Amino acid sequence: MSNVIVCFKWVKAEDDLRIDPATLAVDLSKAKGKISDYDRNAIEAARIASESAGSETIALTFGSNDAKTALKDALSRGPKQAFWVNDVSAENADGFVTANMLAAAIRKIGSYSLIVCGEGAADTYAHQVGPRIGALLDIPVISFVKEMRIEGSRLYAVRKLEDSLEQVEADLPAVVTVLPEINPAPIPGLKAVLEGGKKPVTEFKIQDLDLEDGDTSRKTDVVSFKGCSMSRKKILINEGDAKEKVTALVAALKKEGVL
Amino acid sequence: MAGVYVYSDNTELCGELIALARTSEQEVCAVTMSDQQGSELAKYGPDTIFVLKGQNHAAESYSGAIAKLLTDQDASLFLAGATVRGRDIAAQVAAKMKAGLISEAGSVNFCNGKISAARYMYGGLTEQVEEGKGLTVITVPSGRYAAVNNDSVKSVVVSMTVDTDPRIKITGSSPIVKEGADLSKAGRIVCVGMGFDKKEDLVIAHKLAEALGAEVGCTRCIAEDRGWMPAETYIGISGAVVKPDLYIALGVSGQIQHTFGVRDSKIIVGVNNNEKATIFGVSDYGIVGDLYEIAPLLADAIKNI
Amino acid sequence: MSGEDKFDVIIIGAGPAGTACAYTLAKEGKNVLVIERGTAAGSKNVTGGRFYTYALDLVEPGLWEDAALERKVTHEQIMMMAGEQSITIDYSNPAFNKSGEMPQSFTILRAVFDEWFASKAEEQGAVIACGIKVDGLIEEAGRITGVKAGGDEMFADLVIAADGVNSMIARQAGLVPELSDKTIGVGVKEIIELPAKTIEERFHLKSGEGASLLMLGCTEGIHGGGFLYTNNESISLGCVFTPSEAASHGRQVHDIFQDLKMHPSIYPLIEGGKTVEYGAHLVREEGYRGIPKKLYRDGLMVIGEAAGFVLNIGYTIRGIDLAIVSGVAAARAVISGKNPGPAYFEELNNIKLLPSMKAVDGYFDLLEIHRLYETYPKVASGVFNKMYSISGETPVSIKKGIWGVLKDNKVSLWQLVKDGIRGYRSI
Ligand SMILES: Cc1cc2nc3c(=O)[nH]c(=O)nc-3n(C[C@H](O)[C@H](O)[C@H](O)COP(=O)(O)OP(=O)(O)OC[C@H]3O[C@@H](n4cnc5c(N)ncnc54)[C@H](O)[C@@H]3O)c2cc1C
Ligand SMILES: Cc1cc2nc3c(=O)[nH]c(=O)nc-3n(C[C@H](O)[C@H](O)[C@H](O)COP(=O)(O)OP(=O)(O)OC[C@H]3O[C@@H](n4cnc5c(N)ncnc54)[C@H](O)[C@@H]3O)c2cc1C
Repeated sequence: MSNVIVCFKWVKAEDDLRIDPATLAVDLSKAKGKISDYDRNAIEAARIASESAGSETIALTFGSNDAKTALKDALSRGPKQAFWVNDVSAENADGFVTANMLAAAIRKIGSYSLIVCGEGAADTYAHQVGPRIGALLDIPVISFVKEMRIEGSRLYAVRKLEDSLEQVEADLPAVVTVLPEINPAPIPGLKAVLEGGKKPVTEFKIQDLDLEDGDTSRKTDVVSFKGCSMSRKKILINEGDAKEKVTALVAALKKEGVL
Repeated sequence: MAGVYVYSDNTELCGELIALARTSEQEVCAVTMSDQQGSELAKYGPDTIFVLKGQNHAAESYSGAIAKLLTDQDASLFLAGATVRGRDIAAQVAAKMKAGLISEAGSVNFCNGKISAARYMYGGLTEQVEEGKGLTVITVPSGRYAAVNNDSVKSVVVSMTVDTDPRIKITGSSPIVKEGADLSKAGRIVCVGMGFDKKEDLVIAHKLAEALGAEVGCTRCIAEDRGWMPAETYIGISGAVVKPDLYIALGVSGQIQHTFGVRDSKIIVGVNNNEKATIFGVSDYGIVGDLYEIAPLLADAIKNI
Repeated sequence: MSGEDKFDVIIIGAGPAGTACAYTLAKEGKNVLVIERGTAAGSKNVTGGRFYTYALDLVEPGLWEDAALERKVTHEQIMMMAGEQSITIDYSNPAFNKSGEMPQSFTILRAVFDEWFASKAEEQGAVIACGIKVDGLIEEAGRITGVKAGGDEMFADLVIAADGVNSMIARQAGLVPELSDKTIGVGVKEIIELPAKTIEERFHLKSGEGASLLMLGCTEGIHGGGFLYTNNESISLGCVFTPSEAASHGRQVHDIFQDLKMHPSIYPLIEGGKTVEYGAHLVREEGYRGIPKKLYRDGLMVIGEAAGFVLNIGYTIRGIDLAIVSGVAAARAVISGKNPGPAYFEELNNIKLLPSMKAVDGYFDLLEIHRLYETYPKVASGVFNKMYSISGETPVSIKKGIWGVLKDNKVSLWQLVKDGIRGYRSI
């Protein structure tokens, strides 16, 4: 079997978002980056799959200069090498652009038998890049996978639907999008981190990829982006001992008509 | 360009999408892969019901056929229910048609011939409104719009044989046995967070729930990491989305991924021993204190009402 | 052990000490690994936020110009608090900030500064592995030969412990005893965001200028004090005190800090700001006499606050600069190729770290006087109260007034003289 390519996204950590309570303006400038949580499980799933098939895992990301840190992090999680489509447009790309970039990079990488993506990204959670890549490369897609196994050139997967588990199979090459529950995402150890720093990274610029006109511009316009207000009463019951606090709470809940 | 096309493997959700599509004042066409669903959809009154018939019974293998239909009919919008299948099909259709996809839209608006939709990002901390250019694909979760029975329109049923992707094969299916309570309909919920030290202590939450007549839910860590409660009972963006009258969080830090699932609750109560805990910022009432002390007192107080 | 698993030097902790040491070693071509448990250097570190610039110049002349610093300190203020009253002394000396010269001191944010500093060490060739906690040392025949982290082992000719105040590594190696709660302070701190303009207005600063404000009397008689530093777009506000004393006064760490925030002289300075970070951390309080006798054993060296290099002298806490200086001293000792233990001590003396800590050693005694934290701020406020209270009544003479205040506060002449002598001796 040839390479397993895992796509991952470098996202802004939601904990670092600053939202102005008055205007709901969002400040992302202080937010640190991280590998999208779902993709950490995906990287491990790819590593396990390629290990069982005796092939190599390759990490692939589309990101701006900021994503540089991500490559080391991703490589410390097992992949043997990484490819990076480096362009600032990644910062406000939609699923259309992202999938075009990744599919073009995958074509350029050439040999692959399985492409693994996370179910969705921690920032947009749009669930579209994996299936889009499959459609662009014209290979089968199995999405929302909770278990998978490769036998020869065939992939056997269990998908999780709303009320049922579904057994699905397809010939490789194929794309899977995996649920976090497929496997844990172990935190890399010291040696893995050191090795991660030494593995090769290949950088692609947009010009290096075979893209058509229009492939690099968004298909939807962002009209607004703002914080959501969870406007709640935020009353802290502080007075007195535990018993008095509970009494006050019960009184308040009665008044609210929820008891 | 005209015509809004809707698809969902969930018939009720498909009805919701038809009601939404009606607000566009364009022709509304439902797409299905079975005669049975086709006849069930008639009551929602789409103008046309396209019944696609192919060899493969995996719905996802119809993505190419749907893309072809939309192209042939010069559709302006494809609305898919945001179920597992719907998300997959929507993304593949969008890719094949080089179209934009707005996923999991909480609301969709038709205005001056333009389509815009609002969706959450960053686990529900932010909301983004996007506007489509040209043919647009949008997925909508269930419960956002009300399905409307509409006898005034007599749907035209068009059956057509289509090519399906033969490469994916569904070999079996087994229902997920739901263990915990159905939280989505619960009027009161007591939520267990990592503030509980051991599994045996969950009895504290159950006693409070009993006093309240509430169901017990939990955070993802309790279900996935600790394995103390079934996966169906965790609440949040990746779990159940609930809207009880009363939601009481015991030892829950209040991270957005969790609170996303309770934002439509009427009253939120947080009990946490760390007064800096995020939960207090998203609660109506908060008690800074040890859940081991507060919860039993609360159960007693409620029993004595 | 293979070549892959061996370094010249492994440094535990990417705080200012570890990073300064790594920078200096890597620059001389040493193969250095720094292991940091935080997900990035500085991610978990709590400090006040005032830094003395000379230390960076020791690492590399001119390095400070590129550093992630906040405001240069132009205003030194001390506030004495008694209940709701307060007296502030504001000292400024343009000599500390001559144009064209390196300013003496800056305010910093550790999360930013440490990450910047670590990236500089990386540029010199040091390898920095973040997100990894060292669990222990590897000892072979009495010699430290490497470290254990998770399931991994990594070896080096020399291991340097730069793991901060409560160094697990130095304790494990038997170099540093368990810290006693008498000699350790606990610091709590918030970072409160405010627009740069607001900060400049409230503290009468020009753009780029900063204030350092220390508070006495805010800990209600408990050994300790408060600090406030102005950053570019935030204020670092915190206090440090002895936890065992707080407990015996029946006070919670958090309450004391909350009272400080709400104090009528402090609240207006932070009003309208948004707390974006809250942290608590230990800090050593003994100064020179807290430095362990031995900072070296075969294969292991201790630097930074792990080695007791911190000065908490009432009007200022200095740990970051001393940490950097000790890191440079250790690196120079290694580079010299001499016997590392004695060479390290020699460098610590050459670089004036030990002598300058010794010079202020007496402060520890001064700081032991409890009246400093409660009575004297009250006395001073009382005197000012008498001076400034104009009611139309015939005032008592100032001298009489002062005696009255002292008596009210139960301070005898004898105590005053004794504390005076003790204070004089200690400086
Ligand atoms: C992509 C993604 C998706 C996620 N989806 C979900 C999701 O759908 N649902 C979900 O729940 N989580 C989800 N999470 C995880 C989420 O971010 C939080 O980690 C999780 O909700 C925290 O669970 P917790 O509050 O139980 O635990 P913690 O964050 O550990 O909080 C425990 C709290 O208990 C308090 N406490 C401790 N002891 C006591 C005591 N004796 N009395 C009172 N209080 C006490 C502590 O102060 C603390 O605040 C997701 C995370 C990611 C990254
Ligand atoms: C509230 C407060 C206010 C202060 N104010 C000031 C001030 O204004 N100016 C000043 O100069 N000093 C101040 N100090 C003192 C100063 O912060 C410290 O002395 C200084 O940070 C010490 O530097 P260091 O490099 O030795 O240790 P640290 O900065 O503590 O760095 C130690 C590093 O080691 C890492 N580490 C620890 N254990 C392990 C392990 N097992 N494995 C891997 N990594 C590990 C830690 O994560 C950390 O990054 C203050 C201290 C406090 C608590």
